[in-house]
Amino acid sequence: MNKIKIFKNNIIACICMTFALISCADLDEDPSISNLAPGAYSSQEELELGVTGIYGKLRDASQWTSFYVTGFGGDDITTHKVSNKIDFRAFDIRSVNGANSKTVGVWKDVYAMIRTANLVLESAEDLVLSDASVKDRLLGEVYFLRGTLFFHLARTHGRIPLPLTSEPDFEIALSSQLEVYEQIESDLLLAEKLLPSIYPDVNAGAPRPNSGSARAILARLYMDWAGFPLKDNTRYNLAASSAKQVIDNAGSHGFGLLDDLEDLWSLNNRFNKESVWSISYCVTCGTPNRKYGKLGHPGDLLGWQETFAEIKFFEDFPEGPRKEATYRTDYDWENFSDQVTPVFKKIVGPGDEISLDDFDTNRNDFYMRYAEVLLIYAEASGRSGNVTTEAWESLNKIRRRAEGLPFDEPNAIVDVTSGDIAELAFAERKWEFAGEFIRWNDLVRMERVEEALSDRVPRVSRNAAGELVQVQNEIIGSLGTDNYFAPIPTREIILNPNLDN
Amino acid sequence: MVKQLFFKLKQKCFFSILFLAFTVFQVHAQQNISGEVVDENDVGIPGANVIVKGTTTGSVTDFDGNFSISASPTDVLVISYLGYITQSITVGNQTSIKVTLVQDTAQLDEIVVIGYGTAKKSDVTGAVSQITAKSYEDQPLSRVEEALQGRAAGVTVAKSSGAPGAAIKVRVRGSNSITGNNAPLVVVDGIIGGDLSSLNPNDIASMDVLKDASATAIYGSRGSNGVILVTTKKGSGESKISLDFFTGISTVPNLIPTLNAADFAKIENLRRIRSGGNEIFTDSEISGFENTGGTNYQDLLFQTGITNNLQLSANGSEGKIRYFLSGNYVNQEGIVINTGYEKYSIRANTNAKINDKLKIGLNLFASRAETKNDIDIFGRFQGSEIIKALTWDPTTPLFDENGEYNNYSNKGLASLNYNPIANLNRSKILFINDRLDTNFNLNYNFTDNLSYTLVAGVSIINSQTEKYTTEPPLSDANFSANKVTTHQISNILTWNKIFNKHNIKLTGVYEFSGTKNRYNSFGSKDLTLSNGFYQANLGTPSILNFFSEGAIQSYMGRGEYIFDQKLFLTATVRIDESSVFRPGKRTGTFPSVALAYSLNDLIENVKAFNELKIRVGWGQVGNQSVNPYTTFPTNGAGSQYSFDGSSPTPGSSPIGYGNPELTWETTTQKNIGVDLAFFSGRANLSVDYFNKNTTDLLLKVPVPDTNGGGTILKNIGEVENKGLDIALSGSIIENDNFNWNSTLSISHVKNKVLDLGGEQSIEGGFNSTDGQSRIWNVVEIGKPLGQFQGYTFLGTWKTSEAAEAAVLGQIPGNAKYLRDSNGDYVVSAIGNGTPTFLWGFNNTVTYKNWDLNVFLQGVHGFDVYNTVKGAIVGGTGNHRSFLAVEQLNQWTPTNETEIPAGGQNEYGSSRYVEDGSFIRLSNLTIGYNFKDILGLNSLKVYAGGQNLFLITDYSGYDPEHTSRPSDSTGNSFDNSGNPSDDGANVDVAAGIDTGSYPNPRTVTLGVKIDF
Repeated sequence: MNKIKIFKNNIIACICMTFALISCADLDEDPSISNLAPGAYSSQEELELGVTGIYGKLRDASQWTSFYVTGFGGDDITTHKVSNKIDFRAFDIRSVNGANSKTVGVWKDVYAMIRTANLVLESAEDLVLSDASVKDRLLGEVYFLRGTLFFHLARTHGRIPLPLTSEPDFEIALSSQLEVYEQIESDLLLAEKLLPSIYPDVNAGAPRPNSGSARAILARLYMDWAGFPLKDNTRYNLAASSAKQVIDNAGSHGFGLLDDLEDLWSLNNRFNKESVWSISYCVTCGTPNRKYGKLGHPGDLLGWQETFAEIKFFEDFPEGPRKEATYRTDYDWENFSDQVTPVFKKIVGPGDEISLDDFDTNRNDFYMRYAEVLLIYAEASGRSGNVTTEAWESLNKIRRRAEGLPFDEPNAIVDVTSGDIAELAFAERKWEFAGEFIRWNDLVRMERVEEALSDRVPRVSRNAAGELVQVQNEIIGSLGTDNYFAPIPTREIILNPNLDN
Repeated sequence: MVKQLFFKLKQKCFFSILFLAFTVFQVHAQQNISGEVVDENDVGIPGANVIVKGTTTGSVTDFDGNFSISASPTDVLVISYLGYITQSITVGNQTSIKVTLVQDTAQLDEIVVIGYGTAKKSDVTGAVSQITAKSYEDQPLSRVEEALQGRAAGVTVAKSSGAPGAAIKVRVRGSNSITGNNAPLVVVDGIIGGDLSSLNPNDIASMDVLKDASATAIYGSRGSNGVILVTTKKGSGESKISLDFFTGISTVPNLIPTLNAADFAKIENLRRIRSGGNEIFTDSEISGFENTGGTNYQDLLFQTGITNNLQLSANGSEGKIRYFLSGNYVNQEGIVINTGYEKYSIRANTNAKINDKLKIGLNLFASRAETKNDIDIFGRFQGSEIIKALTWDPTTPLFDENGEYNNYSNKGLASLNYNPIANLNRSKILFINDRLDTNFNLNYNFTDNLSYTLVAGVSIINSQTEKYTTEPPLSDANFSANKVTTHQISNILTWNKIFNKHNIKLTGVYEFSGTKNRYNSFGSKDLTLSNGFYQANLGTPSILNFFSEGAIQSYMGRGEYIFDQKLFLTATVRIDESSVFRPGKRTGTFPSVALAYSLNDLIENVKAFNELKIRVGWGQVGNQSVNPYTTFPTNGAGSQYSFDGSSPTPGSSPIGYGNPELTWETTTQKNIGVDLAFFSGRANLSVDYFNKNTTDLLLKVPVPDTNGGGTILKNIGEVENKGLDIALSGSIIENDNFNWNSTLSISHVKNKVLDLGGEQSIEGGFNSTDGQSRIWNVVEIGKPLGQFQGYTFLGTWKTSEAAEAAVLGQIPGNAKYLRDSNGDYVVSAIGNGTPTFLWGFNNTVTYKNWDLNVFLQGVHGFDVYNTVKGAIVGGTGNHRSFLAVEQLNQWTPTNETEIPAGGQNEYGSSRYVEDGSFIRLSNLTIGYNFKDILGLNSLKVYAGGQNLFLITDYSGYDPEHTSRPSDSTGNSFDNSGNPSDDGANVDVAAGIDTGSYPNPRTVTLGVKIDF
């Protein structure tokens, strides 16, 4: 009996013990075990992680052709006529609506990067590093990215909202066009100030921007600012002086022209001095580029037929080494069985460098080429009425190289030294940057969309049966200025009516 | 409170007490009587109740079945024990009484497990469905879920695919949650969080499904999706060894017709010319295909699969020890080539009676399951391997002239994906799931009325995926391991007392549990040699890992009161504290109350009826399916960038926003039920009506992309489920040689979204497989969950509409879709995939030594989004050519049919929404029992088939399937960085077919032996 009693007491003790185990249920979470703690940075490493994080998001977005979808509006690029490319095609046929999944996607990606950039700026505010130049350089990159990304989006939509803190403002409104340009300018000027003239320990092609990269993008900004819609002609001066500044300091920034255009698009040359800012990719790191190779081939060549060349543009393209470097002229494209359009060498690569199976490539994006800096200088000089011999020389360098000549050696046959330098440079841009998704922006700023897109009907290209090939993707939307900018995503307006303009 | 109530009742029962007093006056001289209660095998029954009739005097038998009690000769002793027929014995002049209780086979089934205790079925106040081993023992089963299907009213069981080892969706009374998990809570022998798919059906004694909130409220924050209580078998009686072996032969029930190579080539030529291209096949090539027929990849995809299932078990009792030991081996070949499933499991359930007061038990269960080439783990960006085979180019042979696989279509036609046959044969994806469940339980009776039970369980689940994939140009190896460890300690105090007509039972529980989740993975890309997974060091590595932990602490109280077997009252309250919420938000109180009243008196004179009971219940339960750390904003180190183009640099970026205000999703449920027994208990009918209202819905509220995009998990919105569960069972024929037992269960559920926090609709997360990044599901106010989103198909543009078409860039013969006034396509809800009406009809017929089981089930009132058909029609994206047979009748200028000859083919359109209703013969088995043969206890040989016929209008393989959304990475992460294998809640995306594994037709042959 006694035994049982003791046992009973033991049991009660056991129960009490079990109840005492209350502390076993630890109810307070520690989220920092497998994630980084949010909040102010306490070390250089945290700041570096934050900055790289923006680049990571940039690559996530720019790996797809969608990031440059606005370029399909140009007279140089088209897409498959049926297939599942309807949202690319919408730009090609000038019928873009607010539900377009490509613009919706780019909007989302850009603002996610902006939020990240704002968070980095806020988290780094009180960070003191022993080497102040390291912090400057890293913050310079953040301002460069924020300004460039605002600009990237503004080139599609015109007016956009400008969130400058990481704290969401659910009632933010569209800024005016001027405010948008001023913010981009301010970010890029700050970036220029904070960035070194060349970023230490990086490959050629500025995979991390330097002060020259910021100035070059500023030159591009001033060209747009001077054109449609604000048409503030005074900005041509700034465009010219900015371009000139980059040209004068090209050596210290590590910028320059390549001798042979064919080298530019070769995988071996993916880091090269002609790019004033490169977005870099790495297949083996799991960060591939998915815009090239298979994406530019037609079904006949096992392609995914996303980015093709316009026929009439191809027909008009001046023969010569530049045309060879731009298109796959070795293809019998007139007799393709599905989509009958030429193929960009700039997209699919030269020769068999990228296998037909391959859509993941190491190709870098040359976000802006030094050639554009030269041509901006030539064009802006003309439009601002301050034409110099250096301006002519800038234009002639591009003309010489296009003919396969050494760009630094004057050539009487190719060189031009008189005429409307602005228009000559504008036309030069057409051929030089064909297939690089920026022709559309040239047509917009100069209000030449209607002129260019009314001239798309092939005249000379015939298939084996002798029939003239047809234009792919007839334009159905307006070519007027009312249809230059893509609508703000409808969903955003529904969630925040202040974004309706 | 219950005590107070009892007190009041006591006052009201004054007259009864008075009456009692009179009886007491009549008491004769008391004497001590000792006795023994034994079963039919003369083994003592411990714990039997011995009560002097009409008094509160009672005793309980000890471990050997002995009792002693004071009674007078005129007293009548009432001896009762759960599962045995109650006996009454007049004391007379006996001083030693031996009572033999006979098992009540009818009543044996009627002990219901109600969670933290049991109850007699007749005493149950909530809506509970019970499935015992008896009801499915005649059906050869490899999965526990199959035993639930169609057998419990209100329980929906749907196979997500026919792949061996694939997940099976189980839902109790519809789906409440848009974001959270809708799977019912599984409790195995008292341990919360079991996994039905890991269990061996043969180990299960019974499954009790708690359906309404009055029953599930004892599980508080985890009870809102219903609770399935699994009780495993215990040993008893003489040692018995059972062996059950069956083998099955599985085939694909039907093939989906597609164009043959010659027709395909002709139509492809037409398609190209129509849009300004050139012919791709010459006439001689076409006549070549007419002779050879080309290659049908669907034929190459399927095989005949053999299944072997071996069950071995031993059980019995030896002295104070009871044991049940079992082993199970399942080996299933899939009907898709190079797919399969293999599982081993063992169980040891042992119980010991240490002394009169103390019982202990230990249940151990270990299993290993290996799934080979689960097609859902292959890249699904352009649909499953099934879609790829259905849409593969019939003009490209499997092998090239060198005997190597043709990896891609020779001419870039039809599906542009990697050859699915090559993929399945060359790749190897192994999913290995190891599980160890340990369950220690202890029961101590302090007094006859008060007992304490401890249930302590630890589970270790180790699942890992070894993935070797061969998509050209180079192979990849990926590994992931997820180790989940859980523990649970439950302390249960029970007090039970019978005062005359009053039976009171009080239960108190203190419980805590915790989970730790460790996820580690590596990827190795572009292996320099294609020698398989274990040479992963030949590629470029990447790493990902994650840790999370959570804990819950709970208090529960329950009072059960029965008056005179007429009035039954149960009231419960559970308080849960969960670590996933912040202090101040983490405590939830979940009350319930239920009342049942027996109207047996009312029907006493109606001969046909025996029992009539009405049940009413109300309760509140929660859903806390929120991942750890969700309330915190997180800064993930997941993104990478390579500045030098050859090595990655890690980067961090904000993921999610964190919502410190987050709390439980609460479901309030009302239930009214009637139980009716008639024809001397030969037939039983239960009807339950329920109304479930879920508020504070966990909803992923979209953040405008402008503000960073993504979602914040908030408690807004409301969903309602109303429905009817009907269960009818009975013996239709009952005589010596011929018996026919039938059960019919019917469920009707109507689901409706009432509020979405101010929004009219929110998009789901089901990414399209058409390469267009569309969302194929939407949640809309006033509609059930799981709306399909898409275009409205209007047939073809006709020649007479040429001018109108041209404005929109279309030509006659192109597909026509509904547009708004701006000319933009209208995207709207175009169908719903959630069934509203389900039934199961199970029949067991025995004639002499023969027995026959026929199980039919039906599911009605839902649509299927047949995007597979969209891909077969093709003509767009990565399914580039037309492959559907209906293209032979496509639009021409002279025959303007509604089958487009060109233009945009939207898979996500009303063209591909079909009625999914079906009736299936789930099981048909005939067995023969040999008696007195070879000295065996019994020998049974059986043969039958599963899924022998399917009646449906659905044109795909099987309307029951739900597929997975497009997912290019294979691993996705939610807002807090927790790994999640799926971008979409399956209940919000029910009925979307993106190429799921067909449900096989199986013929089985088996033998069952008892030694």
